[in-house]
Amino acid sequence: MQLSQYLKVYQVQFKNNWVREAVYRTNFLTSVVVDLIWMVVEASLFSVIYANVPTLGGWTLHQVYFFLGIFFASDALFSILFMRNYWQFSDLINKGELDILLTKPISPLFLALTRWMSLTNIFNFFLGMGVCIYYAKEAGFMGGWKWLLLGGWLIIGLITQSVVRFLFVVWTFWTERGWALSRLYYQFFSVATKPDVIYPAIVRYALLTLLPFAFVASVPARALLYGLSPLEYFWMVVVLGSFFLIGRIVWFKGLRRYSSASS
Amino acid sequence: MSKPLNWRLAAVINGFQDTLAYKSEFFIEFFSSAIVPAVIQLLLWYSMFKLGGAEKVAGQSYGDLIAYTWVSVLFSQVRGGNIDFDLAEMIRSGSLSQYLLRPIGAVEFFFFRGISTKLMVAVICLVVGLAVCPFTELSPLRILGAMVLALIGNLIAYQIGAALAASAFVWEEAYSVLMVKNLVVQLLSGELIPLYLVPENLSWIWKSFPFYLYVFGPTQYALGKWTHQEFIHNIELSFVWILVGWALVHISWKLGIKKYISIGG
Repeated sequence: MQLSQYLKVYQVQFKNNWVREAVYRTNFLTSVVVDLIWMVVEASLFSVIYANVPTLGGWTLHQVYFFLGIFFASDALFSILFMRNYWQFSDLINKGELDILLTKPISPLFLALTRWMSLTNIFNFFLGMGVCIYYAKEAGFMGGWKWLLLGGWLIIGLITQSVVRFLFVVWTFWTERGWALSRLYYQFFSVATKPDVIYPAIVRYALLTLLPFAFVASVPARALLYGLSPLEYFWMVVVLGSFFLIGRIVWFKGLRRYSSASS
Repeated sequence: MSKPLNWRLAAVINGFQDTLAYKSEFFIEFFSSAIVPAVIQLLLWYSMFKLGGAEKVAGQSYGDLIAYTWVSVLFSQVRGGNIDFDLAEMIRSGSLSQYLLRPIGAVEFFFFRGISTKLMVAVICLVVGLAVCPFTELSPLRILGAMVLALIGNLIAYQIGAALAASAFVWEEAYSVLMVKNLVVQLLSGELIPLYLVPENLSWIWKSFPFYLYVFGPTQYALGKWTHQEFIHNIELSFVWILVGWALVHISWKLGIKKYISIGG
C-alpha cells in the first residue's frame, strides 16, 4: 500500500473521530478543566519550591514555566493523536479485536495506533503553547524565527512518547493485561514533568537513554534556551531510532505469539 | 455470625480474591505507585539542597525531607483507591440497578469490597514500618497510630469520592470531577511535597480540607513532629470529617437516585 493510501485511511479515521467527538461535546469541557487543574497543580508545586530556593539546577522559575508550557503542549499533542489507542491496546489482544485489523490490506500496527483520536485535547495544546509563549521572554528565549524550531521539537516529543509508550504496551502479548504496565509507564512519565537539569547526572543519563523522557520537553526547552551540541542531536537520533526498532521487533514476535480470541 | 457482618466480611473476602487473582498486577502497581514518586521527590530535594545550595528549607534540613519522603510512602499507599471511579461508572452504565434490588447499600458494598486491597497494603506498609524501627528513631507505637490515622483518612477519602461520584446521576462525564479531585488531593494531602513547604500565608488552604489527614498527618506523627495531643486532636477532627462525609454521601445519593433512569437494566 502506498503512502497516499495511508493518508486517505487516516483522513477517514480523522473524519470518524471528528463526528464521534461532536456528539460528546461535554468531553471538550471536561478535558479542558482536568488539564487546566493538572497544569495548576504542577505550576503550584514549582511555585512552592521556588518560594524556598531562587534556582534549581541553574534554572529560574520562569524557565521552568517555559519548560512546562512545552511539556503540556507536547503531551496534549500525544493525547490528541495516540493516547487512546495505547489504552485500548490490551483489548485488541485480549478480546481478539486484533483479528479484524489483521485482515485489512494495511499495516495492522498503523491501524492499531491511529484508530482513535482525542480531538477535544486541541484546546489543551493551545493552553500549553500559551504558557510557553507567555514565559518565553522572561525565560530568556530569543524568539523570532526560533519559534519555528518549537514545531520540530514538539514532533520529537510526540515521537518520544509514542515509541516509549509502545515498548510498555507491546508486552501485552505476553502479560495478557496491560493496565499495570500502563500505570508503570505513567509513574515513570511523571519524571518528565520536571526539567532534567534538576536531576543528578546518573538520572539525567537514564532519561536520555533507558527511559528517554527528557526528549519530551527537557531537551527541547534546553535546546531552545541554550542550544544543543551536534553530539546531542546524534545521540537523540540513535536513542529514538533504537526504541523504534526494538518496538518493531517485539511487535512482530508478539504477532507470532498471538492466538485469536475469537477463533 | 450476624447477617449484616456476614455480607460485609464476604465483600472484603471477595475483594481479597479479586486482588490476588492478578498478583503480578498488584505488585507492579504497588511498586510503581510507591517507589517511583518517592524517588522523584528525593531527586527534588537533591536539586534543592545539593544543586540549589539550600541549607534549610522551611526550617527543615535535607535529612528531614528525606525522612519525610520515605515515611510518607508508607501512608500514601493506603490513601484513596479508584473505587469512586467504579461507582461513577456503575451509575453511568446503569449497572447500579442490580444493587438497587439487593438489601445492601451499593456505596457501602463497594467500600467493603475495595478496602481489602488497601488493608493488604496497610499490613505490608505496617510490617515494613515496624521492621525499620530498630534501625531508626521511629517509634513502633507512633507507626501504629499513624497507620490508624491513614486508614481513617482512607475512609474519608472514600466518602468524598462517593459523594462526588454521585454527580454521575446528572452528568455523564462525572469521572472528570473525580480526576480533578485526585489532582487536588495529591497536592493537598502532602503526597507531592510536605505541606510545611507551603508558605504560611497560604497554609489555610490545606488546613481547610481533610486531605492532609491522608498522608501529611500520619507522616508527621510517625516522625515525631506531632505531639500525642496533636495526634488525638486530629483523630477527633477526622471523626468530624467522617460525619461530614457521611452526610455528603447520604444527601448526594438521595438526591441523585431520584434522577436515576435505568433503561433495560
